[in-house]
Amino acid sequence: MTKRYLEVIRLGRLSYTAALKIQDKYARQILDGLSDCKQDQLAIAHLQKLLLVEHDPVYTIGIRRKGYSESDIKKLQLLGADFHYTNRGGLITFHGPGQLVVYPILYLKNFSMGMKTYICHLEKTVIDTCSHFGIQSHTTPDTGVWVGNNKIAAIGVHGSRYVTTHGLALNCDIDLGWFEHIVPCGLEGKGVTSLTKESCHRVTATEATRPLLKSFGTTFDCTLVDPK
Amino acid sequence: MFDNARTVMKTKHGNSEEKQMVDGSISTAQEALGDIVYAELPEVGSEFSKFDECGTLESVKAATEVYTPVSGKVCEKNTDVESDPALVNKSPYEKGWLFKIELQDSNELDELMSEEDYQAFLKEQE
Repeated sequence: MTKRYLEVIRLGRLSYTAALKIQDKYARQILDGLSDCKQDQLAIAHLQKLLLVEHDPVYTIGIRRKGYSESDIKKLQLLGADFHYTNRGGLITFHGPGQLVVYPILYLKNFSMGMKTYICHLEKTVIDTCSHFGIQSHTTPDTGVWVGNNKIAAIGVHGSRYVTTHGLALNCDIDLGWFEHIVPCGLEGKGVTSLTKESCHRVTATEATRPLLKSFGTTFDCTLVDPK
Repeated sequence: MFDNARTVMKTKHGNSEEKQMVDGSISTAQEALGDIVYAELPEVGSEFSKFDECGTLESVKAATEVYTPVSGKVCEKNTDVESDPALVNKSPYEKGWLFKIELQDSNELDELMSEEDYQAFLKEQE
């Protein structure tokens, strides 16, 4: 089997909108490559990226928008966060400083995967990352990664012609208070947690990056090219 | 994902006006997606060219675009699937169809896979 390479791009701290534009740009390059028959699979494979970012505070919801009124949204904005509708799967969630957000812009055929398998691989990547910090986490019928009854990482993706956008958000040392204003992912009676809370010492998004990249590379069987 | 969709078109030939209708459902493709929890289907009367994105299905936290394998005008959508998206999994060939489209160019039908080709295609994907 050909060895896969995936370029890592560290965006640092960025607004949701700015990062979305970058995601769309790279996804567009792959989609354009696919419609251009002269581009071979190898050329397409080289267009894939792994984006890493920490967002300014923002609440986002997926394509199921029923149940969120204008006044709900205003309330959230009054907390000092942005609000965005997105085209990903999943319900409402929060992104902010202290959360490592990973957007794999992949052509899933290059990984011989369907959507369901892709999601499982994202979950496994997070579970391995948690283990690195001595935290036992697991999956449940509700997508995402959990420590007990509390969610440590949320997952929501979009797929178009096997090209993925959006991805996963791992809570590192994020202020969990932001989640008290929403029912994360629409699941009543469940909580949220972070690497910092579970490991009892501060784990920043930067500290979580290297273990996460290592897990991603192993899980997706690819070599990550990280300029940093 | 949904390039599989074009493979499971059922064709209905010959009403009095000799229009051809294509009825899109996604059959085995749904297994690769998991349980469908939400469906956005194209509005009746909307027109699409071949391979245009015309709807979205959501499963396991993933929103996946549905696209039409043929050009034409949508003449019916399955509102049952919009209210009960699980039908796509439970009954992909019968109750879980997504939309019907009036063919613009019947030659496009020849480019679709047959059921046999489709089964072979799925094997290849495994």
